Amino acid sequence: MPTLTFPLSRIEGHAQVVIEVQAGEVVSARFQAIEFRGFEHFVQGGPAEQMPVITPRICGVCSTAHHVAAVKALEDAYDVTPPPLALRIRELLLLGQIVQNQATSLFIFTMPDRPGVASIFQVAPFIPTTGGERGRGTSEQDNAGIAMRALQVRKAGTDLITTAGGQFIHPVKAVVGGVTSGIGPEQAAAMRAELAEVLPIACELFDLYWEMSLEMGERIGTWGDDAPACYIAAVADCRPNYYGDVIRVMCPAGVMRARFPARDFRAHLTYQETDYSYAGQTSYGGEVMRANSLARINMARCMGTPRADEYLARFHEAFGQPAHAIMLFDLARGIELVYALERALEILAEPLDHEDTAIPYTPRDGEGYGLVEAPRGPLIHHYRIENGLIARAEFIIPTVHNSLAIERALRVAAERYVTAERVDMELERAVGRVVRAFDPCIACATH
Amino acid sequence: MNRFAVLQLSGCAGCEVSLLNAEEWVDRYRLVYMPLVISAHDVPEVDVLLVSGGVRTDEDLYNLRRAVQRARQVVAVGTCAISGGVANLGDRDEVRALFLAQAERRHLPHLLPKVRPVDSVVTVDRYLPGCPPTPELFMAVLFQPPDFKVSKTVCQECGRKKLKDMRPAHLLGFQQGEVLPDICLINQGYLCIGSSTRGGCRAPCTRAGHPCVGCRGPSDAFIEKESSEWFASIQRVFAAMTDVPAEEIEAALRSPQLALFLFQFADYAPPSFPPSGGDEGRATRPKEKVL
Repeated sequence: MPTLTFPLSRIEGHAQVVIEVQAGEVVSARFQAIEFRGFEHFVQGGPAEQMPVITPRICGVCSTAHHVAAVKALEDAYDVTPPPLALRIRELLLLGQIVQNQATSLFIFTMPDRPGVASIFQVAPFIPTTGGERGRGTSEQDNAGIAMRALQVRKAGTDLITTAGGQFIHPVKAVVGGVTSGIGPEQAAAMRAELAEVLPIACELFDLYWEMSLEMGERIGTWGDDAPACYIAAVADCRPNYYGDVIRVMCPAGVMRARFPARDFRAHLTYQETDYSYAGQTSYGGEVMRANSLARINMARCMGTPRADEYLARFHEAFGQPAHAIMLFDLARGIELVYALERALEILAEPLDHEDTAIPYTPRDGEGYGLVEAPRGPLIHHYRIENGLIARAEFIIPTVHNSLAIERALRVAAERYVTAERVDMELERAVGRVVRAFDPCIACATH
Repeated sequence: MNRFAVLQLSGCAGCEVSLLNAEEWVDRYRLVYMPLVISAHDVPEVDVLLVSGGVRTDEDLYNLRRAVQRARQVVAVGTCAISGGVANLGDRDEVRALFLAQAERRHLPHLLPKVRPVDSVVTVDRYLPGCPPTPELFMAVLFQPPDFKVSKTVCQECGRKKLKDMRPAHLLGFQQGEVLPDICLINQGYLCIGSSTRGGCRAPCTRAGHPCVGCRGPSDAFIEKESSEWFASIQRVFAAMTDVPAEEIEAALRSPQLALFLFQFADYAPPSFPPSGGDEGRATRPKEKVL
């Protein structure tokens, strides 16, 4: 039996899965990141204060998380506490990132997997309708209609990033000591109007997604039957603020096992490299862990906004807490999409240009750690600054926390579809579904 | 219906995310290949091929050369594809050594010694610079409306007022201080290079209070000239508007540390500029081809 190689699409960046099979036995399942640009190396010697502009370019999908983590790392090194309004605007910025990312992952990356088609531009014929009949339509217009609504939801996320961050992909407004400007009442009102329009569309699409996921579960006979794992996240258990506070680890049975600040990460997380991927792997002291949406939703007691709380209750009731099936990552993302839209609407109703948005500071040499809860999990930037320049930079990437979990889940999927007689053709789709459930970001993981 | 494809080489996917922010193409163009959005293994025949990212690995090189054979028109999109972009900062001895050390890894694409712009490998019909280009610019490159004309420079789109009586004596860092609204960032002492950076982005960064870092590359006035002329123009602007010593501006612009984004200058320069890393004889990018 040959080695099976599956190039991956509908994920961020370049990766492939290689499954080695011998006499019907799965020997290994590897997740390979196949790109590398060398950010940790080429930022050395650069001025520390440029990091919030350079590091978003690690990834155009997760740029906002890098922008804020960079600023927080510098503020940690300079011992600066930004004013409350600046923190509010940064929270808003990260909510924009959640909307943009979760909408992209749900509708563009994974919705096509439900009926098993190649892209969002082909799902219309498979959309369930209230009468139980299949297909609202099969014409190109119907497909475009679904795609347009999906794109509209994710665009609201990037518009929110623009409102709070200046530039729409690589934001610029967070600076050491605060943010460069507030958000005026007119701008806030326009943004609120857009989010209010998009919220019901997002809910409707998510309802369809939920239903299509149930159908898919029935069709393939599993929701991802991997073993339970540890979970890692940096948000509180109610009204999550993606600005990040301390890192928490939950053990598979649902009990909190550790709580630590970003600067202590080495005492808890074990990092290793492999010769088959440009991305490393982290474990929680040797145990497989999972970051991303399911980690946060497993730790969540409440979301604190009405519609998101309804979805959360429905999720916990249907699947338990903690829930471990792989495909639940996707549904957890939908809850967060709704929450982020609702929470942003709340914040935008507050005054956002009534007081100072930044405080003065004095740069100094030293070490700094910046933590945010990125869509894919806890992200840490660590800098050592000498003579105002970066002497060392480390990027602790959430996708890397998931590397081992992805490989374990791939192996389970491979064992399901590989027998002594043959390889089931469903394997290729299963590989895509498993990897996309973790929504890995290869540009970040390799950086 | 016209067909287009997006080939992503080594980059951040920000260009793709920007393209997804535009909707106008959905019912006028058929997107047939873009791995970020569509599961398809191969680039089919297309009218327009958008290429983003730089040529970083041998696999990038192969995929690029293969894809352009099926495209009627090739557009290099984004700073990485056009000048190497931020990854070009790795074009230093100590970082090159690191890339070479990675060559021992098995089963992985090999890293080239230097990230290369797309037009050092294949013929490019049009260029769409920006990090990333805005959705509006993407639509302009796809639909080529005859009346679409971008502003000459970011400065013209910024809307901040230039003051005659506000002359800083020294440069501030990019990140320092609270930015005054509505007043030119150069008046406030920031190293903003919007005066010679190509317009068309509608100046989102400077409007938000961050100096322009030049991601759209040189304006038409400089794009066919040596990068030293771009430097000189920035220096003239600062001499006219500030009391910052010329040496301080010079140091800020020339220093790889302070001018990280300006690294792209090297790759914008025509061939008379000493080529680096084995890029032999790449032609100038004529301004008619750059949006």
